[in-house]
Amino acid sequence: MSDQTDQRNAPPATSSERTVARLVNATKRFGTGDAAVTALNDATIEFRKGEFTAVMGPSGSGKSTLMYCQSGLDRLTSGHAYIGDVDVSTLSDQELSVMRRSTLGFIFQSFHLVPALTSRENITLPVDLNANAEVDEAFLNELAVVLGIEHRLENLPSQLSGGQRQRVAVARAMIPRPDVIFADEPTGALDSKTSGELLAYLRTAVDDLGQTIVMVTHDAVAASHCDRVVYVQDGVLVDEGRNPTVDDVLGKIRELS
Amino acid sequence: MIRRTLKLAWFKRNRYALTVVAIALSVAFIVSTLLLTTSIADVGEPLRSAYDDVDVVVTGPEVAGGDGPVQAISAPVPAAVVADLTAAGRIAVGLADPYAQVLTSDGQAGGQDQAAANVAEPWLGDSPLNGFAIVEGAAPEVVGEAVMDVSTADAASLAVGSTIRFVTDSGVQEARLVGLATFGGSDNDPYTSTLLLAPEHPIFTTAEGFQRVLVADATVADVAAMVSGMEVESGADWIQAEQDALNDFLGFFSTFLTVFAVVAVVVGMVIVTNTFTVSLSQRTQELALLRLVGTTRRQLLSQVVLEAVLLGTIGTAIGLVLGLAGVSVLGWFLDVLGLVIERSNTISATALVVGVIVGLGVTVVASVRPAWKSTEVAPIEALRSSEADLTDGGTRRRMLTVGVLAIGLATLAWGIAQSDILFTGVAIGAIFLALYLGADSLVRIAARLTRPLLGRAGPTGTIASRNLEKNAGRTAAAASALMIGIALIGFFTLMAATIGQFIAGDAGEALEADLVVQGIGSQPEPALNDDVLEQVGSVDGVEIVVPLYQTSVSPVGDVEFERAGPGGGGGLGVALTDVDALAQAYAFVLNAGSLDDIAGSSVAIDQATADGFGRSIGDTLAVTSLAGPAELEVVAIIETSLPGSPQPAIIGDLSLRTTLGYDDPATAAYIVGSVLPGDVNEAIDLPTVEVVSRTDYIDGLSSNLDTILALVYALLAVAVLVALIGIANTVSLAISERVGEIAATRAAGASSRQIFWSLLAEFGLLAIVGIVSGLVFAWIAAASLFNALSGGQIGTPEVDVLTALLIVAAGLSGALIASWFPARSAATTDILDVLRAD
Ligand SMILES: Nc1ncnc2c1ncn2[C@@H]1O[C@H](COP(=O)(O)OP(=O)(O)OP(=O)(O)O)[C@@H](O)[C@H]1O
Ligand SMILES: [Mg+2]
Repeated sequence: MSDQTDQRNAPPATSSERTVARLVNATKRFGTGDAAVTALNDATIEFRKGEFTAVMGPSGSGKSTLMYCQSGLDRLTSGHAYIGDVDVSTLSDQELSVMRRSTLGFIFQSFHLVPALTSRENITLPVDLNANAEVDEAFLNELAVVLGIEHRLENLPSQLSGGQRQRVAVARAMIPRPDVIFADEPTGALDSKTSGELLAYLRTAVDDLGQTIVMVTHDAVAASHCDRVVYVQDGVLVDEGRNPTVDDVLGKIRELS
Repeated sequence: MIRRTLKLAWFKRNRYALTVVAIALSVAFIVSTLLLTTSIADVGEPLRSAYDDVDVVVTGPEVAGGDGPVQAISAPVPAAVVADLTAAGRIAVGLADPYAQVLTSDGQAGGQDQAAANVAEPWLGDSPLNGFAIVEGAAPEVVGEAVMDVSTADAASLAVGSTIRFVTDSGVQEARLVGLATFGGSDNDPYTSTLLLAPEHPIFTTAEGFQRVLVADATVADVAAMVSGMEVESGADWIQAEQDALNDFLGFFSTFLTVFAVVAVVVGMVIVTNTFTVSLSQRTQELALLRLVGTTRRQLLSQVVLEAVLLGTIGTAIGLVLGLAGVSVLGWFLDVLGLVIERSNTISATALVVGVIVGLGVTVVASVRPAWKSTEVAPIEALRSSEADLTDGGTRRRMLTVGVLAIGLATLAWGIAQSDILFTGVAIGAIFLALYLGADSLVRIAARLTRPLLGRAGPTGTIASRNLEKNAGRTAAAASALMIGIALIGFFTLMAATIGQFIAGDAGEALEADLVVQGIGSQPEPALNDDVLEQVGSVDGVEIVVPLYQTSVSPVGDVEFERAGPGGGGGLGVALTDVDALAQAYAFVLNAGSLDDIAGSSVAIDQATADGFGRSIGDTLAVTSLAGPAELEVVAIIETSLPGSPQPAIIGDLSLRTTLGYDDPATAAYIVGSVLPGDVNEAIDLPTVEVVSRTDYIDGLSSNLDTILALVYALLAVAVLVALIGIANTVSLAISERVGEIAATRAAGASSRQIFWSLLAEFGLLAIVGIVSGLVFAWIAAASLFNALSGGQIGTPEVDVLTALLIVAAGLSGALIASWFPARSAATTDILDVLRAD
């Protein structure tokens, strides 16, 4: 894999038809003066359509920051973050909101469902927020069946188990058929069996629906479900590989820490 | 992490700040109203020190009134009484209180103020009966010299040495101001402008009797033995009665202010309870954790109570300072309104102590219950669910609400049927309690009813509606606070409209006179003597002058009837006039009899009086007047009487003046003719008399009411402000609870605008529940109270839709403004601040 390490300082990848998101010379600094932390340091990366990417690295290395800046939840200190051809730093709050509900999907470690809404309402939330969009009921039912939550659709989140909640969150991220789904440690709060099922489902979504997924994870097993794995250290992309096995990943992690 | 911690601290600080503000405002309100009440109650004090040597006071038998706007009228004490007492070796002096109103240097009516009586009193020199003391210049020695009280001199800008002019029943007179006097150590006799003249002055020597005779060196028993047919009482009793009369006069204000103080306490309590309930609900986990590691309930309780004491102390301290400032503001406001209420500068310690007790007490009491309930939750259960509902929701509460409501409605039905004030009062209390207890159910119902509508605005609308329903138990308190404020506003508005109608009566349509001449209102009504009437009559264009002589009489016999509305009280107003001329100036609606028959002791009475006494044409009405008992024959019944306060129940011919012992000048006159008010004014050239057009006169009839209402509304505004702070408090608490949910919705693509509007919709709806239930309650309370107070004579108050809408709009805008900033800050919160927290 060392051959690929050279790519880390490669010139900005040009946007191809297959690129759905990319960071160009992205730097993110928190605080000022002595207390300043550089969470992202001149990182350049692109995510291609239909690709399942794992972002790995030690705690505090900047994985979440990378994801937040890429998705427009946070703003870069310098550099550019593109979704498709759009530089997210040029978007207003309103435009970012519209982008979040139609172009992007999010899955978080701690689910972040809306407690006042039922599972169904949580799932259709991004579509419902669009005044003139219709929920694709067939797709919703298919998602519910595949995720095994078809009988829990009328329940409130407080009446669901953690695994069920996360599957509702996955369905919510999938429903608008977003260009890319960002998942920050989606299996972090789940047991290994439940997370295995979830990862298998994400894999299917990529294979069958051509869904693009960027997933931050600490779990080598989770990363092994991915097409591609990138390693982050101190805010810098240090390495990446394709079709990783669990052993590849474990070895790399040991090497980095 | 740091940002989030700060963020939460900010929310917490906000919450505490609002709680402190709520406590401070409540305390300030209570303290300033109490201070005002006690300073008002103090004004009788000068009487006591001025008349400490007066042993006995003799007054004539009371003829009429003494209650409400019907002024007490007593028969005069004959001059012989003073002569007899003096001959028997007592020190006695008779005071007639003749009308004398000082003019300012530029010729304006110059009493201290409009409400003051303007009288002349003889200078009594060294007599122990002299309540006045010269503080500048000298005493009046001869007829051309005068002394006046310090307040009057100040108000009229008159200096010792200048020549002054004053109006009396016999015209304008002149004198040289030789000195200033105080009364019992105070700058004036309460509510009186006094001109002190030499006892030889004709104004005293022409008096045929006295209002009262003051006696020193005597006892009640021996004076009573010397005079007959008079009221004889000790000086102390008389002063007490005077002070009581003053307090009666101010009773409305004291009652009113006290009611407001209570309202302030209730609203304050609701808000503080609400704050503690919500903040403790949020902390259930923290408390449960403390319980898990072995903290006792008592320890937890004392921790919470300590927090309450701290907040209570800060709030109370600020409130006391605000309250001390507030009483000056209230006083200033009274002055601006021209509502003359004399006040002393004493700061009552009681008011401050009550403020402290209420501020601290309410806070602590309000915190104990939710604290106890929150520690009641089993620790493990609290850890499992993130928050516990500490409110009393549930079946038991609902049953209680329904029960109280049923009792309230049943009592109300009985109270209305019987026009019984006690039952009605209890019913109103019960209905209020039911509304308070059931506020959460109302909020839930409102949430469900509006769900389809809100749902149409998208999922954020659904979220708003669900949250409103889910949190009803906690947020309903804010609706209740608003309900109280709006209910009061609605009630007073209805009351004002009803009373206004009574005062102005149908004058608007019935009065045909072009101008009205009247004294510039003060207590012995100023002179419209024959000279003035003649001058008016000689003005070019004046066709008819209708003089009105207004007095009052007491009905004889065990008559239970009291006139409804502001004319009520212990007497019957009488208007004596040239009835033929009056017919040209006023279009009576005649229900029975004939106005032409009014002559001598034959009179017209209005329908309310006829109904009240059960009289019809040909019946007689026995009354007591200044001249003793009289029998009046009813020859006409009119639908409504002339306007006025009191509205005259009886209208009689001029010749009845002698029968009723009325020998003062006219109190008002109607003018028919095409002539400008200014021209008549010029002809009279008497600053104490004003000439107004018909429309101005009709407007003026209710202007006193408007003034009082302005004060009422100013105070109500404070109550509503406190309620709005409650709303702001509830909103920021509810929002601080919901940052996670808001972030999740935002992450799913909701724009900050969508979040903002959904929050506003939620709290706007909450406010509407409070406003509407407040208005409905106000209407029920007003309708049933008026019914009970008027013995069924006043029908249901008319609702002015525009006013109702205005109140709703004002309340709603207030609530939206109160919600605006917390909602804005929640809607624009950085999503990551919350997401990173996990
Ligand atoms: N809001 C913030 N303010 C200050 N520093 C921050 C902030 N967010 C992140 N950081 C810092 O930026 C660096 C990268 O943080 P980031 O959350 O991206 O790490 P991570 O790789 O996701 O770690 P983990 O695997 O533990 O989630 C860390 O040093 C972190 O302390
Ligand atoms: Mg992270």
